[in-house]
Amino acid sequence: MSEPAAPVLEIANLSKSFGGIRAVHECSFCVRQGQVIGLIGPNGAGKSTVVDLVSGFGRPDSGSIRLAGQELIGMRPDVISRLGLIRTFQTPREWRGLTVMDNVLLARRQFGRESLWRCATRARRLRREEEADRVQARAILDRFKLTDLKNAPAGTLSGGQKRLLEFARIAAAEPRLVMLDEPMGGVNPVLGAQIRDAVRQFAAAGQAVVVVEHNLPFIEKTCDEVVVMDLGEVIAQGAFDGLRGNPRVVDAYLGMDLSHD
Amino acid sequence: MYWVSIVTEAAIFAILALGLDVVWGWAGDFDLAFYGYLALGSYMTMVLTIGKPTPPVSYILGYHLPYPVALLLAVAAVVVLAALIGAVALRNLREIYFAVTTLSAVSALYLIVENYTPLFDGYNGVYGLVNPGQTALNLTYNGYRIVFLGVVLVLLALVCLLVQRLSASPFGRMLRSIREDEHAAAAYGRGVFSAKYRAYLFGAALAGLAGGLFAVFISAFNPSAWTPQELLVIYAAILVGGRGNPLGVVAGVFGVYIGFIELTRFLPAPSSRPEFGPALRQVLIGLLIILMLKFRPAGLFSERLSRDRGPQ
Repeated sequence: MSEPAAPVLEIANLSKSFGGIRAVHECSFCVRQGQVIGLIGPNGAGKSTVVDLVSGFGRPDSGSIRLAGQELIGMRPDVISRLGLIRTFQTPREWRGLTVMDNVLLARRQFGRESLWRCATRARRLRREEEADRVQARAILDRFKLTDLKNAPAGTLSGGQKRLLEFARIAAAEPRLVMLDEPMGGVNPVLGAQIRDAVRQFAAAGQAVVVVEHNLPFIEKTCDEVVVMDLGEVIAQGAFDGLRGNPRVVDAYLGMDLSHD
Repeated sequence: MYWVSIVTEAAIFAILALGLDVVWGWAGDFDLAFYGYLALGSYMTMVLTIGKPTPPVSYILGYHLPYPVALLLAVAAVVVLAALIGAVALRNLREIYFAVTTLSAVSALYLIVENYTPLFDGYNGVYGLVNPGQTALNLTYNGYRIVFLGVVLVLLALVCLLVQRLSASPFGRMLRSIREDEHAAAAYGRGVFSAKYRAYLFGAALAGLAGGLFAVFISAFNPSAWTPQELLVIYAAILVGGRGNPLGVVAGVFGVYIGFIELTRFLPAPSSRPEFGPALRQVLIGLLIILMLKFRPAGLFSERLSRDRGPQ
Protein backbone atom coordinates (compact mmCIF):
# COMPACT_ATOMS: atom_id res chain seq x y z
CA MET A 1 0.00 0.00 0.00
CA SER A 2 1.13 3.53 -0.73
CA GLU A 3 1.34 6.42 1.72
CA PRO A 4 -1.97 6.98 3.50
CA ALA A 5 -3.81 9.98 2.07
CA ALA A 6 -4.51 13.06 4.16
CA PRO A 7 -7.38 12.77 6.64
CA VAL A 8 -10.47 14.72 5.58
CA LEU A 9 -12.74 13.97 8.51
CA GLU A 10 -11.45 13.29 12.01
CA ILE A 11 -14.00 12.48 14.68
CA ALA A 12 -12.72 12.13 18.25
CA ASN A 13 -14.63 11.16 21.40
CA LEU A 14 -17.93 12.41 20.01
CA SER A 15 -20.87 12.12 22.39
CA LYS A 16 -24.52 13.11 22.23
CA SER A 17 -27.44 12.26 24.49
CA PHE A 18 -31.12 12.90 23.93
CA GLY A 19 -32.65 13.13 27.39
CA GLY A 20 -31.28 10.07 29.16
CA ILE A 21 -30.50 8.16 25.97
CA ARG A 22 -26.91 7.94 24.84
CA ALA A 23 -27.30 8.22 21.08
CA VAL A 24 -23.59 8.53 20.41
CA HIS A 25 -20.93 7.78 23.01
CA GLU A 26 -17.19 8.47 22.76
CA CYS A 27 -17.22 7.78 19.07
CA SER A 28 -13.95 8.17 17.13
CA PHE A 29 -12.96 7.44 13.56
CA CYS A 30 -11.23 9.06 10.63
CA VAL A 31 -11.86 9.23 6.88
CA ARG A 32 -9.10 9.92 4.37
CA GLN A 33 -9.07 11.42 0.92
CA GLY A 34 -10.36 9.02 -1.69
CA GLN A 35 -11.60 6.61 0.94
CA VAL A 36 -15.12 5.19 1.19
CA ILE A 37 -16.12 4.30 4.75
CA GLY A 38 -19.26 2.30 5.46
CA LEU A 39 -20.95 3.23 8.71
CA ILE A 40 -23.04 0.24 9.71
CA GLY A 41 -24.86 -1.08 12.71
CA PRO A 42 -28.35 -2.06 13.83
CA ASN A 43 -31.22 0.43 13.98
CA GLY A 44 -30.67 2.93 16.76
CA ALA A 45 -26.91 2.45 16.76
CA GLY A 46 -26.37 6.20 16.31
CA LYS A 47 -25.21 6.24 12.69
CA SER A 48 -27.58 8.92 11.44
CA THR A 49 -26.94 10.95 14.59
CA VAL A 50 -23.24 10.97 13.70
CA VAL A 51 -24.13 12.33 10.25
CA ASP A 52 -26.34 15.00 11.85
CA LEU A 53 -23.62 16.00 14.31
CA VAL A 54 -20.91 16.25 11.67
CA SER A 55 -23.10 18.28 9.30
CA GLY A 56 -24.23 20.71 12.01
CA PHE A 57 -27.86 19.58 12.10
CA GLY A 58 -27.30 18.50 15.69
CA ARG A 59 -24.98 19.81 18.38
CA PRO A 60 -22.75 17.31 20.17
CA ASP A 61 -22.40 17.31 23.96
CA SER A 62 -18.66 16.78 23.71
CA GLY A 63 -15.90 15.67 21.41
CA SER A 64 -14.24 17.02 18.33
CA ILE A 65 -15.06 16.97 14.62
CA ARG A 66 -12.44 18.22 12.18
CA LEU A 67 -12.94 18.73 8.47
CA ALA A 68 -9.59 19.16 6.72
CA GLY A 69 -8.15 20.14 10.07
CA GLN A 70 -10.81 22.69 10.98
CA GLU A 71 -12.97 22.20 14.05
CA LEU A 72 -16.67 22.13 13.08
CA ILE A 73 -18.39 22.04 16.44
CA GLY A 74 -20.71 25.00 16.97
CA MET A 75 -20.97 25.84 13.28
CA ARG A 76 -24.26 26.10 11.40
CA PRO A 77 -25.05 23.51 8.69
CA ASP A 78 -24.67 26.05 5.87
CA VAL A 79 -21.25 27.14 7.12
CA ILE A 80 -20.06 23.54 7.38
CA SER A 81 -21.40 22.87 3.90
CA ARG A 82 -19.41 25.79 2.55
CA LEU A 83 -16.27 24.28 4.06
CA GLY A 84 -16.79 21.30 1.78
CA LEU A 85 -19.28 18.83 3.24
CA ILE A 86 -22.36 17.61 1.42
CA ARG A 87 -24.70 15.28 3.25
CA THR A 88 -27.88 13.58 2.12
CA PHE A 89 -30.95 12.61 4.09
CA GLN A 90 -32.69 9.26 4.32
CA THR A 91 -35.15 10.27 1.62
CA PRO A 92 -34.12 12.30 -1.43
CA ARG A 93 -34.64 15.97 -0.62
CA GLU A 94 -34.95 17.54 -4.05
CA TRP A 95 -36.32 21.07 -4.43
CA ARG A 96 -39.63 19.87 -5.80
CA GLY A 97 -40.97 22.99 -7.46
CA LEU A 98 -37.70 23.78 -9.25
CA THR A 99 -36.51 22.10 -12.42
CA VAL A 100 -33.94 19.32 -12.44
CA MET A 101 -31.51 21.77 -14.05
CA ASP A 102 -32.11 24.38 -11.34
CA ASN A 103 -31.52 21.72 -8.69
CA VAL A 104 -28.09 20.98 -10.17
CA LEU A 105 -27.26 24.66 -10.70
CA LEU A 106 -28.10 25.38 -7.06
CA ALA A 107 -25.70 22.62 -6.11
CA ARG A 108 -22.93 24.41 -8.05
CA ARG A 109 -23.03 26.83 -5.12
CA GLN A 110 -22.07 30.11 -6.75
CA PHE A 111 -23.09 32.09 -3.69
CA GLY A 112 -21.64 35.36 -4.95
CA ARG A 113 -24.18 35.39 -7.76
CA GLU A 114 -27.08 35.17 -5.34
CA SER A 115 -26.67 38.66 -3.93
CA LEU A 116 -29.90 40.65 -4.20
CA TRP A 117 -28.04 43.73 -5.33
CA ARG A 118 -26.04 42.00 -8.05
CA CYS A 119 -29.13 40.16 -9.29
CA ALA A 120 -30.99 43.47 -9.53
CA THR A 121 -28.26 45.43 -11.27
CA ARG A 122 -26.13 42.91 -13.17
CA ALA A 123 -28.68 40.41 -14.42
CA ARG A 124 -27.21 40.02 -17.88
CA ARG A 125 -23.64 39.66 -16.70
CA LEU A 126 -24.66 37.03 -14.15
CA ARG A 127 -26.43 35.07 -16.86
CA ARG A 128 -23.25 35.08 -18.91
CA GLU A 129 -21.18 33.99 -15.93
CA GLU A 130 -23.61 31.18 -15.25
CA GLU A 131 -23.18 29.68 -18.70
CA ALA A 132 -20.00 27.83 -17.62
CA ASP A 133 -21.90 26.22 -14.75
CA ARG A 134 -24.71 25.28 -17.08
CA VAL A 135 -22.29 23.50 -19.39
CA GLN A 136 -20.95 21.55 -16.44
CA ALA A 137 -24.45 20.85 -15.13
CA ARG A 138 -25.50 19.51 -18.53
CA ALA A 139 -22.55 17.12 -18.56
CA ILE A 140 -23.45 15.90 -15.08
CA LEU A 141 -27.10 15.42 -16.03
CA ASP A 142 -25.92 13.44 -19.00
CA ARG A 143 -23.79 11.24 -16.81
CA PHE A 144 -26.79 10.44 -14.60
CA LYS A 145 -29.16 10.00 -17.56
CA LEU A 146 -31.34 12.94 -16.55
CA THR A 147 -30.83 15.08 -19.65
CA ASP A 148 -34.32 14.51 -21.02
CA LEU A 149 -35.79 15.61 -17.72
CA LYS A 150 -33.69 18.72 -17.21
CA ASN A 151 -36.62 21.12 -17.58
CA ALA A 152 -39.08 19.02 -15.59
CA PRO A 153 -39.99 19.99 -12.02
CA ALA A 154 -37.90 17.76 -9.74
CA GLY A 155 -41.01 16.80 -7.78
CA THR A 156 -42.37 14.91 -10.79
CA LEU A 157 -39.41 12.50 -10.97
CA SER A 158 -39.73 8.85 -9.95
CA GLY A 159 -38.13 7.67 -6.73
CA GLY A 160 -35.13 6.26 -8.58
CA GLN A 161 -34.65 9.39 -10.65
CA LYS A 162 -34.72 11.45 -7.46
CA ARG A 163 -31.88 9.30 -6.11
CA LEU A 164 -29.90 9.98 -9.26
CA LEU A 165 -30.64 13.69 -8.99
CA GLU A 166 -29.27 13.56 -5.45
CA PHE A 167 -26.00 12.19 -6.83
CA ALA A 168 -25.99 14.70 -9.68
CA ARG A 169 -26.23 17.48 -7.12
CA ILE A 170 -23.34 16.06 -5.11
CA ALA A 171 -21.26 15.74 -8.28
CA ALA A 172 -22.06 19.36 -9.10
CA ALA A 173 -21.11 20.54 -5.61
CA GLU A 174 -17.63 18.95 -5.70
CA PRO A 175 -17.33 18.61 -1.90
CA ARG A 176 -14.30 17.33 0.03
CA LEU A 177 -16.49 15.01 2.05
CA VAL A 178 -19.76 13.30 1.15
CA MET A 179 -21.98 11.74 3.80
CA LEU A 180 -24.73 9.52 2.42
CA ASP A 181 -27.55 8.52 4.76
CA GLU A 182 -29.02 5.26 3.44
CA PRO A 183 -28.57 5.89 -0.29
CA MET A 184 -29.93 2.42 -1.13
CA GLY A 185 -33.34 2.90 0.51
CA GLY A 186 -35.99 1.76 -1.99
CA VAL A 187 -33.46 1.29 -4.77
CA ASN A 188 -33.63 -1.52 -7.35
CA PRO A 189 -30.52 -3.56 -8.33
CA VAL A 190 -29.83 -1.72 -11.62
CA LEU A 191 -29.97 1.65 -9.92
CA GLY A 192 -27.90 0.20 -7.07
CA ALA A 193 -25.07 -0.49 -9.49
CA GLN A 194 -25.26 3.10 -10.77
CA ILE A 195 -25.13 4.41 -7.23
CA ARG A 196 -22.13 2.23 -6.46
CA ASP A 197 -20.36 3.57 -9.55
CA ALA A 198 -21.17 7.13 -8.52
CA VAL A 199 -19.73 6.57 -5.04
CA ARG A 200 -16.57 5.02 -6.46
CA GLN A 201 -16.21 7.95 -8.84
CA PHE A 202 -16.37 10.41 -5.95
CA ALA A 203 -13.58 8.46 -4.27
CA ALA A 204 -11.57 8.28 -7.47
CA ALA A 205 -11.77 12.07 -7.67
CA GLY A 206 -10.17 12.27 -4.25
CA GLN A 207 -13.31 12.94 -2.26
CA ALA A 208 -13.87 11.22 1.06
CA VAL A 209 -17.18 9.34 1.39
CA VAL A 210 -19.08 8.07 4.42
CA VAL A 211 -22.01 5.77 3.67
CA VAL A 212 -24.60 4.87 6.28
CA GLU A 213 -26.36 1.80 4.95
CA HIS A 214 -28.14 -1.39 6.00
CA ASN A 215 -27.55 -3.13 2.71
CA LEU A 216 -24.43 -5.13 3.57
CA PRO A 217 -23.70 -6.50 0.09
CA PHE A 218 -23.65 -2.90 -1.13
CA ILE A 219 -21.28 -1.94 1.69
CA GLU A 220 -19.03 -4.88 0.97
CA LYS A 221 -18.73 -4.02 -2.72
CA THR A 222 -18.47 -0.26 -2.33
CA CYS A 223 -16.51 0.54 0.81
CA ASP A 224 -12.82 0.35 1.57
CA GLU A 225 -13.41 0.00 5.28
CA VAL A 226 -16.34 -0.17 7.64
CA VAL A 227 -17.03 1.32 11.04
CA VAL A 228 -19.51 -0.72 13.05
CA MET A 229 -21.63 1.02 15.65
CA ASP A 230 -23.93 -0.38 18.29
CA LEU A 231 -25.77 1.49 21.05
CA GLY A 232 -23.92 4.68 20.20
CA GLU A 233 -20.43 3.24 20.36
CA VAL A 234 -17.95 2.20 17.71
CA ILE A 235 -17.53 -1.52 18.34
CA ALA A 236 -15.30 -2.42 15.42
CA GLN A 237 -13.46 -0.87 12.54
CA GLY A 238 -11.54 -2.19 9.56
CA ALA A 239 -11.88 -4.12 6.33
CA PHE A 240 -15.27 -5.78 5.83
CA ASP A 241 -13.82 -9.27 5.56
CA GLY A 242 -11.98 -9.01 8.85
CA LEU A 243 -15.24 -8.33 10.71
CA ARG A 244 -17.03 -11.52 9.82
CA GLY A 245 -15.54 -13.37 12.72
CA ASN A 246 -15.70 -10.50 15.23
CA PRO A 247 -18.02 -11.74 17.98
CA ARG A 248 -19.17 -8.21 19.00
CA VAL A 249 -20.22 -7.45 15.46
CA VAL A 250 -22.03 -10.74 15.05
CA ASP A 251 -23.70 -10.19 18.39
CA ALA A 252 -24.83 -6.67 17.46
CA TYR A 253 -26.40 -8.02 14.32
CA LEU A 254 -28.14 -10.74 16.38
CA GLY A 255 -26.28 -13.51 14.66
CA MET A 256 -27.13 -12.30 11.20
CA ASP A 257 -24.98 -13.96 8.58
CA LEU A 258 -22.64 -11.28 7.34
CA SER A 259 -21.30 -13.44 4.58
CA HIS A 260 -24.61 -13.78 2.78
CA ASP A 261 -24.74 -12.27 -0.66
CA MET B 1 -62.79 60.07 -12.24
CA TYR B 2 -64.24 57.03 -10.56
CA TRP B 3 -62.15 54.73 -12.72
CA VAL B 4 -59.01 56.79 -12.20
CA SER B 5 -59.45 56.28 -8.49
CA ILE B 6 -60.10 52.53 -8.78
CA VAL B 7 -57.13 51.90 -11.04
CA THR B 8 -54.82 54.02 -8.84
CA GLU B 9 -55.82 52.03 -5.78
CA ALA B 10 -55.38 48.71 -7.57
CA ALA B 11 -51.94 49.76 -8.85
CA ILE B 12 -50.80 50.74 -5.34
CA PHE B 13 -51.99 47.41 -3.98
CA ALA B 14 -50.22 45.66 -6.85
CA ILE B 15 -46.92 47.12 -5.57
CA LEU B 16 -47.80 45.88 -2.08
CA ALA B 17 -48.71 42.45 -3.47
CA LEU B 18 -45.43 42.17 -5.38
CA GLY B 19 -43.59 42.76 -2.11
CA LEU B 20 -45.72 40.21 -0.29
CA ASP B 21 -45.17 37.71 -3.09
CA VAL B 22 -41.39 37.88 -2.57
CA VAL B 23 -41.94 37.03 1.10
CA TRP B 24 -44.70 34.45 0.74
CA GLY B 25 -44.47 33.30 -2.86
CA TRP B 26 -40.70 32.91 -3.10
CA ALA B 27 -39.42 32.53 0.46
CA GLY B 28 -42.57 30.76 1.65
CA ASP B 29 -43.24 32.86 4.75
CA PHE B 30 -46.93 33.46 5.42
CA ASP B 31 -46.58 36.94 6.87
CA LEU B 32 -49.55 38.59 8.55
CA ALA B 33 -47.75 41.78 9.60
CA PHE B 34 -47.47 42.99 6.05
CA TYR B 35 -50.35 45.43 6.07
CA GLY B 36 -48.68 47.10 9.03
CA TYR B 37 -45.77 48.02 6.76
CA LEU B 38 -48.10 49.75 4.33
CA ALA B 39 -49.66 51.55 7.29
CA LEU B 40 -46.33 52.70 8.71
CA GLY B 41 -45.27 53.88 5.25
CA SER B 42 -48.47 55.94 5.01
CA TYR B 43 -48.20 57.40 8.51
CA MET B 44 -44.54 58.29 8.09
CA THR B 45 -45.14 59.96 4.73
CA MET B 46 -47.90 62.01 6.32
CA VAL B 47 -46.03 63.19 9.40
CA LEU B 48 -42.98 64.06 7.30
CA THR B 49 -44.94 66.28 4.92
CA ILE B 50 -47.91 67.88 6.70
CA GLY B 51 -46.06 70.07 9.20
CA LYS B 52 -46.47 70.66 12.93
CA PRO B 53 -49.68 69.46 14.56
CA THR B 54 -52.03 72.03 16.07
CA PRO B 55 -53.42 71.02 19.49
CA PRO B 56 -55.41 69.00 20.38
CA VAL B 57 -54.06 67.01 17.43
CA SER B 58 -50.69 65.41 18.16
CA TYR B 59 -48.24 63.31 16.22
CA ILE B 60 -44.49 62.81 15.97
CA LEU B 61 -42.06 64.73 13.74
CA GLY B 62 -44.36 67.11 11.86
CA TYR B 63 -41.96 68.19 9.13
CA HIS B 64 -42.58 69.93 5.84
CA LEU B 65 -40.33 67.80 3.67
CA PRO B 66 -40.74 67.49 -0.09
CA TYR B 67 -42.90 64.48 -0.87
CA PRO B 68 -40.24 62.32 -2.62
CA VAL B 69 -37.83 62.78 0.31
CA ALA B 70 -40.58 61.90 2.77
CA LEU B 71 -41.41 58.84 0.70
CA LEU B 72 -37.81 57.59 0.86
CA LEU B 73 -37.58 58.20 4.61
CA ALA B 74 -40.89 56.41 5.10
CA VAL B 75 -39.57 53.39 3.21
CA ALA B 76 -36.46 53.45 5.40
CA ALA B 77 -38.62 53.55 8.56
CA VAL B 78 -40.63 50.58 7.32
CA VAL B 79 -37.47 48.61 6.63
CA VAL B 80 -36.29 49.30 10.18
CA LEU B 81 -39.58 48.01 11.63
CA ALA B 82 -39.44 44.94 9.38
CA ALA B 83 -35.84 44.37 10.48
CA LEU B 84 -37.01 44.23 14.11
CA ILE B 85 -40.02 42.00 13.50
CA GLY B 86 -38.17 39.79 11.03
CA ALA B 87 -35.18 39.32 13.34
CA VAL B 88 -37.48 37.72 15.89
CA ALA B 89 -40.00 35.98 13.67
CA LEU B 90 -37.77 34.57 10.93
CA ARG B 91 -34.99 33.13 13.04
CA ASN B 92 -36.53 29.86 14.13
CA LEU B 93 -40.26 30.14 13.57
CA ARG B 94 -41.85 28.66 10.47
CA GLU B 95 -45.29 28.27 8.96
CA ILE B 96 -48.13 28.72 11.45
CA TYR B 97 -45.75 29.81 14.23
CA PHE B 98 -44.31 32.49 11.99
CA ALA B 99 -47.81 33.60 10.94
CA VAL B 100 -49.01 33.84 14.55
CA THR B 101 -45.92 35.80 15.58
CA THR B 102 -46.31 38.33 12.79
CA LEU B 103 -50.03 38.62 13.52
CA SER B 104 -49.17 39.37 17.15
CA ALA B 105 -46.63 41.95 16.05
CA VAL B 106 -49.08 43.79 13.81
CA SER B 107 -51.82 43.60 16.45
CA ALA B 108 -49.49 45.13 19.02
CA LEU B 109 -48.55 47.83 16.54
CA TYR B 110 -52.21 48.48 15.82
CA LEU B 111 -53.07 48.84 19.49
CA ILE B 112 -50.13 51.13 20.13
CA VAL B 113 -50.97 53.40 17.20
CA GLU B 114 -54.66 53.44 18.12
CA ASN B 115 -54.16 54.21 21.81
CA TYR B 116 -50.92 56.14 22.10
CA THR B 117 -51.99 59.49 20.66
CA PRO B 118 -48.58 61.26 20.65
CA LEU B 119 -47.51 58.87 17.91
CA PHE B 120 -50.04 59.30 15.09
CA ASP B 121 -52.96 60.94 16.97
CA GLY B 122 -54.54 57.62 17.92
CA TYR B 123 -57.89 56.80 16.46
CA ASN B 124 -58.27 60.13 14.67
CA GLY B 125 -55.20 59.49 12.60
CA VAL B 126 -53.27 61.97 10.53
CA TYR B 127 -54.51 63.90 7.53
CA GLY B 128 -53.70 66.86 5.33
CA LEU B 129 -51.48 65.43 2.64
CA VAL B 130 -53.53 66.86 -0.21
CA ASN B 131 -52.06 66.41 -3.67
CA PRO B 132 -48.39 67.24 -2.96
CA GLY B 133 -47.01 69.32 -5.81
CA GLN B 134 -50.35 70.24 -7.30
CA THR B 135 -49.68 73.99 -7.22
CA ALA B 136 -46.11 73.60 -8.44
CA LEU B 137 -47.34 71.57 -11.39
CA ASN B 138 -50.21 73.99 -11.94
CA LEU B 139 -52.83 71.26 -12.21
CA THR B 140 -56.53 71.10 -11.49
CA TYR B 141 -57.66 68.61 -8.85
CA ASN B 142 -58.82 66.10 -11.48
CA GLY B 143 -55.77 66.73 -13.64
CA TYR B 144 -53.55 65.99 -10.64
CA ARG B 145 -55.35 62.74 -9.97
CA ILE B 146 -54.71 61.61 -13.53
CA VAL B 147 -51.03 62.59 -13.34
CA PHE B 148 -50.76 60.79 -10.00
CA LEU B 149 -52.25 57.67 -11.59
CA GLY B 150 -49.58 57.95 -14.28
CA VAL B 151 -46.82 58.21 -11.65
CA VAL B 152 -48.19 55.20 -9.78
CA LEU B 153 -48.40 53.16 -12.97
CA VAL B 154 -44.81 54.04 -13.91
CA LEU B 155 -43.62 53.06 -10.43
CA LEU B 156 -45.61 49.83 -10.66
CA ALA B 157 -44.01 49.07 -14.02
CA LEU B 158 -40.52 49.70 -12.59
CA VAL B 159 -41.18 47.60 -9.50
CA CYS B 160 -42.67 44.86 -11.65
CA LEU B 161 -39.62 44.88 -13.92
CA LEU B 162 -37.27 44.70 -10.94
CA VAL B 163 -39.21 41.91 -9.25
CA GLN B 164 -39.52 39.99 -12.51
CA ARG B 165 -35.77 40.25 -12.97
CA LEU B 166 -35.06 39.08 -9.43
CA SER B 167 -37.56 36.28 -9.83
CA ALA B 168 -35.63 34.83 -12.76
CA SER B 169 -32.24 35.44 -11.11
CA PRO B 170 -30.05 33.24 -8.88
CA PHE B 171 -31.47 35.19 -5.92
CA GLY B 172 -35.02 34.10 -6.77
CA ARG B 173 -33.88 30.54 -7.39
CA MET B 174 -32.08 30.41 -4.05
CA LEU B 175 -35.14 31.69 -2.16
CA ARG B 176 -37.35 29.13 -3.84
CA SER B 177 -34.97 26.32 -2.90
CA ILE B 178 -35.37 27.43 0.71
CA ARG B 179 -39.14 27.46 0.31
CA GLU B 180 -39.13 23.94 -1.14
CA ASP B 181 -36.82 22.37 1.46
CA GLU B 182 -34.84 24.54 3.82
CA HIS B 183 -32.83 21.68 5.33
CA ALA B 184 -31.62 20.66 1.90
CA ALA B 185 -30.89 24.32 1.13
CA ALA B 186 -28.78 24.57 4.30
CA ALA B 187 -27.06 21.30 3.44
CA TYR B 188 -26.01 22.99 0.19
CA GLY B 189 -24.63 26.04 1.95
CA ARG B 190 -27.51 28.50 2.01
CA GLY B 191 -27.82 30.62 5.13
CA VAL B 192 -31.55 30.19 5.55
CA PHE B 193 -32.18 32.99 8.00
CA SER B 194 -30.10 35.55 6.17
CA ALA B 195 -31.72 34.75 2.82
CA LYS B 196 -35.24 34.92 4.25
CA TYR B 197 -34.35 38.12 6.09
CA ARG B 198 -33.11 39.84 2.94
CA ALA B 199 -36.27 38.83 1.10
CA TYR B 200 -38.35 40.10 4.00
CA LEU B 201 -36.69 43.51 4.09
CA PHE B 202 -37.00 43.86 0.32
CA GLY B 203 -40.69 42.95 0.45
CA ALA B 204 -41.29 45.36 3.33
CA ALA B 205 -39.59 48.16 1.40
CA LEU B 206 -42.12 47.68 -1.41
CA ALA B 207 -44.92 47.74 1.19
CA GLY B 208 -43.50 51.02 2.49
CA LEU B 209 -43.46 52.46 -1.02
CA ALA B 210 -47.06 51.38 -1.51
CA GLY B 211 -47.90 53.01 1.83
CA GLY B 212 -46.30 56.31 0.82
CA LEU B 213 -48.34 56.34 -2.39
CA PHE B 214 -51.45 55.31 -0.53
CA ALA B 215 -51.03 58.37 1.72
CA VAL B 216 -51.45 60.61 -1.34
CA PHE B 217 -54.30 58.51 -2.63
CA ILE B 218 -56.47 58.87 0.46
CA SER B 219 -54.76 61.98 1.96
CA ALA B 220 -55.70 60.88 5.48
CA PHE B 221 -54.73 57.79 7.40
CA ASN B 222 -56.17 56.35 10.59
CA PRO B 223 -56.52 52.90 12.15
CA SER B 224 -59.78 52.14 10.36
CA ALA B 225 -57.80 52.18 7.08
CA TRP B 226 -55.62 49.24 8.01
CA THR B 227 -57.50 46.60 9.93
CA PRO B 228 -55.56 43.34 9.59
CA GLN B 229 -58.33 41.73 7.49
CA GLU B 230 -57.35 43.96 4.56
CA LEU B 231 -54.38 41.71 4.01
CA LEU B 232 -56.68 38.80 3.25
CA VAL B 233 -57.70 40.47 -0.01
CA ILE B 234 -54.05 40.80 -1.03
CA TYR B 235 -53.45 37.13 -0.30
CA ALA B 236 -56.56 36.25 -2.30
CA ALA B 237 -55.29 38.35 -5.21
CA ILE B 238 -51.87 36.63 -5.16
CA LEU B 239 -53.55 33.25 -5.01
CA VAL B 240 -55.82 34.07 -7.95
CA GLY B 241 -53.06 35.57 -10.06
CA GLY B 242 -50.41 32.98 -9.33
CA ARG B 243 -48.12 32.78 -6.32
CA GLY B 244 -44.52 33.29 -7.41
CA ASN B 245 -45.36 34.80 -10.80
CA PRO B 246 -44.94 38.61 -10.67
CA LEU B 247 -47.05 39.43 -13.73
CA GLY B 248 -49.68 36.99 -12.51
CA VAL B 249 -49.72 38.72 -9.14
CA VAL B 250 -50.31 42.11 -10.77
CA ALA B 251 -53.07 40.63 -12.92
CA GLY B 252 -54.54 39.02 -9.81
CA VAL B 253 -54.65 42.31 -7.92
CA PHE B 254 -56.31 44.13 -10.80
CA GLY B 255 -58.71 41.24 -11.31
CA VAL B 256 -59.68 40.92 -7.67
CA TYR B 257 -59.89 44.67 -7.03
CA ILE B 258 -61.62 45.76 -10.16
CA GLY B 259 -63.50 42.66 -11.16
CA PHE B 260 -64.41 41.33 -7.80
CA ILE B 261 -64.65 44.19 -5.35
CA GLU B 262 -66.35 46.49 -7.81
CA LEU B 263 -68.83 43.89 -8.97
CA THR B 264 -69.81 43.07 -5.44
CA ARG B 265 -70.68 46.73 -4.89
CA PHE B 266 -73.82 46.00 -6.85
CA LEU B 267 -74.92 43.39 -4.36
CA PRO B 268 -78.08 44.24 -2.46
CA ALA B 269 -77.30 46.46 0.52
CA PRO B 270 -80.44 47.11 2.53
CA SER B 271 -80.33 50.55 4.09
CA SER B 272 -81.36 49.15 7.43
CA ARG B 273 -78.23 47.02 7.42
CA PRO B 274 -75.37 49.04 5.90
CA GLU B 275 -72.76 46.54 7.11
CA PHE B 276 -74.32 43.79 5.01
CA GLY B 277 -72.44 44.63 1.81
CA PRO B 278 -68.90 44.72 3.24
CA ALA B 279 -69.58 41.64 5.33
CA LEU B 280 -70.83 39.72 2.31
CA ARG B 281 -67.73 40.85 0.44
CA GLN B 282 -65.52 39.30 3.12
CA VAL B 283 -67.49 36.07 2.80
CA LEU B 284 -67.05 36.09 -0.96
CA ILE B 285 -63.30 36.71 -0.64
CA GLY B 286 -63.12 33.70 1.66
CA LEU B 287 -65.12 31.67 -0.83
CA LEU B 288 -62.82 32.79 -3.65
CA ILE B 289 -59.76 31.63 -1.70
CA ILE B 290 -61.33 28.24 -1.00
CA LEU B 291 -62.39 27.73 -4.61
CA MET B 292 -58.97 28.70 -5.94
CA LEU B 293 -57.21 26.35 -3.53
CA LYS B 294 -59.56 23.56 -4.52
CA PHE B 295 -59.54 23.93 -8.27
CA ARG B 296 -56.46 25.87 -9.25
CA PRO B 297 -54.02 26.05 -6.36
CA ALA B 298 -51.18 27.42 -8.50
CA GLY B 299 -53.32 30.40 -9.60
CA LEU B 300 -54.38 31.48 -13.07
CA PHE B 301 -50.76 32.13 -14.06
CA SER B 302 -48.64 29.61 -12.20
CA GLU B 303 -45.02 30.15 -11.22
CA ARG B 304 -42.80 30.03 -14.28
CA LEU B 305 -40.16 27.35 -14.36
CA SER B 306 -36.84 28.31 -15.84
CA ARG B 307 -35.98 26.63 -19.12
CA ASP B 308 -32.49 25.51 -20.00
CA ARG B 309 -32.23 25.95 -23.74
CA GLY B 310 -28.68 24.76 -24.10
CA PRO B 311 -27.49 21.88 -26.25
CA GLN B 312 -28.42 18.23 -25.52
